[in-house]
Amino acid sequence: MNLRVVGCNYRTAAVELREKLAFDAAKQDRAVAELPARFGCEVVLLSTCNRVELYTARPPQEPAFDLDRVAEYLGEVHSLSPDVVRPLLYERADAEAVVHLSRVTASLDSLVVGEGQIAGQVKTAFDFAQKAAATGALLNALFPHALRVAKRVRTETGIALGHVSVSSVAVDYVRQVFDHFGDKTVLVIGAGKMARLTLKHLEALKPKRILVTNRNPAKAIEVAGMCGGVPVPWENLDAALAETDIALSTTGAPQPIMPAKRFEEKVRPKRGSGTLVVLDIAVPRDFDPAIHDGDRVCLFNIDDLTRVREQTIAARHAHLAPAEAIIAAEAKKFLDDWNRRKSGPVIQQLRTEFDKVRAEVLAGVLSKLNGKVSDADKAYIEGGFRLLQNKLLHGPIAALQQASKDGESRQMLDAVRKLFGLSGG
Amino acid sequence: MPGFLPNVTHACFELSYLLALAAELARLRWPRPWLRVAGLLFGAAGLFAHSLFLALRQPTPATAYGGLLVVAWVLAVFYLYGTLHDGKRAWAVFVLPLVLGLVGLAFLAGKDQVPLGVPWESEHRVWGALHGVFVLCAAVGVSVGAVASVMYLIQADRLRRKKNPLGGVKLLSLERLETINRRAVTAAFPFLTAGLLLGAVLMRQYHDLVDNWLSPKVLGTVGLWAVFLLLLYLRYVVHVPGRRLARLTLVAFALMIAVLVAAHPFAGGTP
Repeated sequence: MNLRVVGCNYRTAAVELREKLAFDAAKQDRAVAELPARFGCEVVLLSTCNRVELYTARPPQEPAFDLDRVAEYLGEVHSLSPDVVRPLLYERADAEAVVHLSRVTASLDSLVVGEGQIAGQVKTAFDFAQKAAATGALLNALFPHALRVAKRVRTETGIALGHVSVSSVAVDYVRQVFDHFGDKTVLVIGAGKMARLTLKHLEALKPKRILVTNRNPAKAIEVAGMCGGVPVPWENLDAALAETDIALSTTGAPQPIMPAKRFEEKVRPKRGSGTLVVLDIAVPRDFDPAIHDGDRVCLFNIDDLTRVREQTIAARHAHLAPAEAIIAAEAKKFLDDWNRRKSGPVIQQLRTEFDKVRAEVLAGVLSKLNGKVSDADKAYIEGGFRLLQNKLLHGPIAALQQASKDGESRQMLDAVRKLFGLSGG
Repeated sequence: MPGFLPNVTHACFELSYLLALAAELARLRWPRPWLRVAGLLFGAAGLFAHSLFLALRQPTPATAYGGLLVVAWVLAVFYLYGTLHDGKRAWAVFVLPLVLGLVGLAFLAGKDQVPLGVPWESEHRVWGALHGVFVLCAAVGVSVGAVASVMYLIQADRLRRKKNPLGGVKLLSLERLETINRRAVTAAFPFLTAGLLLGAVLMRQYHDLVDNWLSPKVLGTVGLWAVFLLLLYLRYVVHVPGRRLARLTLVAFALMIAVLVAAHPFAGGTP
């Protein structure tokens, strides 16, 4: 095995540098076409917003496509000096590279541990390289292995449990209160960027109607137009809240727009028996937390949502150890299988050669003894020769198998080939 | 009939339900698919044994023993249906303790409780059976409402404390729990009313004694009916918060258990 991964990620390179090293579709196209032709290597290029990694495999006897070569190549592609690129790069070889790819694919190496996008990005990168015929035996085995391991990690550990975006956590809370949304009204108060993001999640629930209110009527009309909602005058906020099931508030008001007194006097008496969920993601807060009772009114502000997000991330970190154990076990299995694949043909060749020699020697011996031995004696002699062959081969085959397990099969394969005069390599 | 069937006892289904509950509790800590399968198998085995027991022994629902066992059986069906239908929710954790409690209570109430001394062929017997069916239907409704109420209170408490929405035991939304509670209680009320009226008519006709009218079972049933009426009034007229309705449903459930356990006023025969 002569496998290398060289790259940079959010830990080793600042975002400005990652941006410079990122591969757009055209550059990626060029790289997967050029690298195999120029350097005779298999290649998969993984370029995401958090990492740029080059996975290469070359024949064992050739020098690896190492960090220096990658630094030069990246410098050439992105018009940067290799000296600028080199300090940002890390390198993993062979077994470490196998583990690294599995960790990346299973999202153990991600900025947000357990995020679900990276496995798809790895698959896309592999498919892209495969279509460009830039992959060979090793990478064609390695990438499906990593994707399989990532799936196992996600299903057998809690690494991907829960949601880590504030918008998703907000919707999780809404789902704890409501079961169906076809009869629900969503009220959007304000028009901050976060509101639009959360509103996208709420829109996916397909509520009956969306009302939008803003101090600036033009902004209310703009947001309402974007989400198919109905603009409501700011003065009608109390009335709108009285008929709302889910309120999403994100104004830039310096004071709460809904103090508890106003809510109790002007909103609560007009509401029926339904629950109101308020997602107050404004800073400073728009709604007085005192209105929250967990039954009629469920109020969640940005602190609540962020706290849950952090809890989820912490909970995911608790699953790192079992995830690492799965990856280590699977990597060992992959390496054993790979090495067995390399030594298997040599063992077979060895056996065939010995069978041939045995058959020749046996034929000579039996021809000299022609007529002097019975069929039973012939069978006995044949058995003896076979036993001798097996005993002679036991040592080399066991050594080959052990070297495969230890990952040192290349030297052993060369030695066995030379010792027994086998062809190939 | 296979030889083992007559040997089906309380212990068979109680132990199965207990193992199903243990598997589900373990699943909360270690979410392994095989624990779900084990829980389902034990639950199904328990329900099978429970069904066989009721079919073979035919305990009369007019006694506390029979009545509690039948209500427990209906709840076990509810648990198994819920688990198969929506396996993500911890149905077993909420329903099986209730099932186990009812079976245990039935055992304590005693299978030797004296059944009603009414001849099979009599008209009284037919109307009495109908009265029993109505009351049992109401009991099932209250039990389902009680399970939903416990879930509702826990879910509301979690929301009040703003706990991680995806952490801990998986529960239904407040809206769904409230709907289950509302439907169960609303459906149970006509059964309870019909059962109560039929019981009153039968008692007036066959056992019209002051002691009978003032027996704990009769007074408890009237009290239960009043609590039901209050529940419906608070829900549909006053629109009180779901948490208070859930608590009141639990009061109704406790009263129903007391009514089921109380001895029938004319048990042992007509006076």
